[in-house]
Amino acid sequence: MDRDGQFGLPSAAALQGYRIWDSYFTPSHGHPGPDGFSAVLADIERSRRALELGRFEKACYFAHVGLGTTRDAELETLLDAEPDRVVVPLERYPDLLLGMIQLNANDPGASREAIDRWIVEGPMVGAYLPGGGPAALTCTHRNVIGLVERLAEAGAVIMVHTWIKTGGKGGPGESTPAELAELARRFPGQSFVCAHAGGEWEKGIRAVRDVPNILVETSGFDATAGFLEMAVRELGAGRIVFGSHLPSRSLGTELSKVTAAEVTEEEKRRILGANFRALLGE
Amino acid sequence: MKRRALLESSLSVAAAGIVSTSSLSKSENRTQDGGGVLSVFDTNVSLFRWPFRRLPLDETEALVRRLRELGVARALAGSFEGVLHRDCGAVNRRLAEECARFSELLPVGTIDPGRPGWESDLEECAGELGMRAIRLFPNYHGYALGDRRFHALLERAATAGLLVQVAVALEDTRTQHRLVAVPDVDLGPLPEAVGRVPGVLVQVLNDRPRGAYPEALLDESRISFDVARVDGTDGVARLRDMVGWERVLFGSHAPFLIPEAALIRTVHESGLAEHELRCIVGGNAERLLFDKA
Repeated sequence: MDRDGQFGLPSAAALQGYRIWDSYFTPSHGHPGPDGFSAVLADIERSRRALELGRFEKACYFAHVGLGTTRDAELETLLDAEPDRVVVPLERYPDLLLGMIQLNANDPGASREAIDRWIVEGPMVGAYLPGGGPAALTCTHRNVIGLVERLAEAGAVIMVHTWIKTGGKGGPGESTPAELAELARRFPGQSFVCAHAGGEWEKGIRAVRDVPNILVETSGFDATAGFLEMAVRELGAGRIVFGSHLPSRSLGTELSKVTAAEVTEEEKRRILGANFRALLGE
Repeated sequence: MKRRALLESSLSVAAAGIVSTSSLSKSENRTQDGGGVLSVFDTNVSLFRWPFRRLPLDETEALVRRLRELGVARALAGSFEGVLHRDCGAVNRRLAEECARFSELLPVGTIDPGRPGWESDLEECAGELGMRAIRLFPNYHGYALGDRRFHALLERAATAGLLVQVAVALEDTRTQHRLVAVPDVDLGPLPEAVGRVPGVLVQVLNDRPRGAYPEALLDESRISFDVARVDGTDGVARLRDMVGWERVLFGSHAPFLIPEAALIRTVHESGLAEHELRCIVGGNAERLLFDKA
C-alpha cells in the first residue's frame, strides 16, 4: 500500500534529503549477547524496517568492549580476550553503523587504554558515558575528568547520558545536564553531547544553554510537544543532534520530534544529520 | 450556546456516526486503495490548556487543522481542564460547546466519582450533552480501580451506554512537576471490576506496557487499549500480539504528545496486516462507539 508522504511520515524523497545520521542507536544497549554481538545484530534486524522507512544513512551505537560495563563477568572476560567480537556489528553493517565505546570511569586505567585501542587506532568515533549499570559515574567525578582529557586529545565525540528525574536520580552514577555543564566548562574546546536533553527537557535545555560546547540529543523520552521548538529557540539549531533510540523507542516517537516540529526545513536538516556529521569531522 | 443547540449539534455528528463531507474533503492523507479510504479515528485527544506548559497545538483550531492534515476524520476529545478543575459539570459543558464547532470532534466528559454529584455529571454527559464516552483520571482524582466508587461508576456508565476511558497516565512519572507527582494507575483490579458489570466497555489510555500484561487483563475482552505511549519500534505489533487486534485502538494523546508519533508508529512502522491496520486506526473505535447491540 503506497502511503508515501502520508499519515505523519515525510515522503521518502524528503527523508532522503534530510540525510539522517542517527547519533543514538541502541541495539541491545545493555548487553550485546553472550557471544559479544548476537543480541546487537538481532536488534539491528528488529530496527531494520524503521531504519529503512526513515532512510537513515548512518546510525551510531555504543559498544561494550570488555571494560566492565555489564554485570556479566564471563562476557567481559570474553570481550577482553577476543576483541574481534566487538567489531562484528561494524563488519556486518559497514555502510550503516558507526560506533562509540562505552567507558567505565570506575576503571580509569582500562578505560584510558580502551580509548587508545578503539578510538585513537579506530574504528570507533567516540565514547559514551553511561547513566546506569556498573560503569555509571557522575560526570563531575575526577575519574571522568581524567578520561575527558584523553578523549579531547584523541578528538573523540563524547556522548553523556543525562536525566533529570522527578524524585531524584535513577542511581548515584547518573549525570544531570547541570553536572555536564560543570564538566564542559573545564574543556571549552571539546564538544559534549547531552543525551536525552536531560529527559525533563525544559530544565535540561536551560541547564546547558550558556555552555556553547554542549549539544543536546533528542531521544529517550516521550514525543512531548514543544521540545524541539524550545531547543531551537534557546540553543539554536546548530546545537541539537538527532537520536533514534531504536529499537526500544520508535521511529514515530523520535523522528516526529524533529520532522513535525514548527522549525524550518533547514533547521531540521541540520538537526537530523548535518550537525552530527560536523561533530565527526565529516 | 444553549444546551439544546449543543445537544443537537453533538448528536448530529455522534449519533449519525458519519463525518461530514466537508471535513473529509479537508483531509490530505486519505489513501484510496482496494479497501477504500484509510480513515483515522483518534480516540485520545484533549482540548484546552495543559496545566504545566503551553503546547504548539493547544488551540482547538490548530489541533483540528493538524488532525485533518494527518487524515484523522474523527477524534474523541477530552478536556485537560478535567484533570484539576473540581466542577466537572462546567468542564464538560465547555468541552461540548467547543467540540460542536468542529465536525471531527466528539466530546468526552470527565467524571470524578470522588466528587459530590458525579452521578448527575454522568447523566448530563449521556443525556443533554450527547456524549458517547467519558474519561477518568483515577491517579489525579485520588482513587484506585478497586474502589467501590469506580464500580458504581462502571454500572452507571453501562446503563447509559457510555464507553469508559481510563487514563493510566498523562505524563511520564520521571518528568512530572515535583509538586504534582502522580504514579501510573494500577490496572490490577480492572479486570475484576469490569467482569462484575455486564455490558460495560473500558478503554485504557496512555499505558506503556512493560512486558506481558497479567492473564486476567488479557482475558477480559471488554477492555481495550490505545497506542499513544506504546513505544518501541514493534510496540504496537507486540500489543496486538498480546491482546488481539480487535482490542487495540489508535490514540495519540495530542496535543500533549506529537500526533505524528503514534500515527507513524501504527500506520508505517508496525508492519500490521491491512485489515488489522484498518481496524486499529478506525474500525475498532467505530464498533465500540456506534455498533453497540
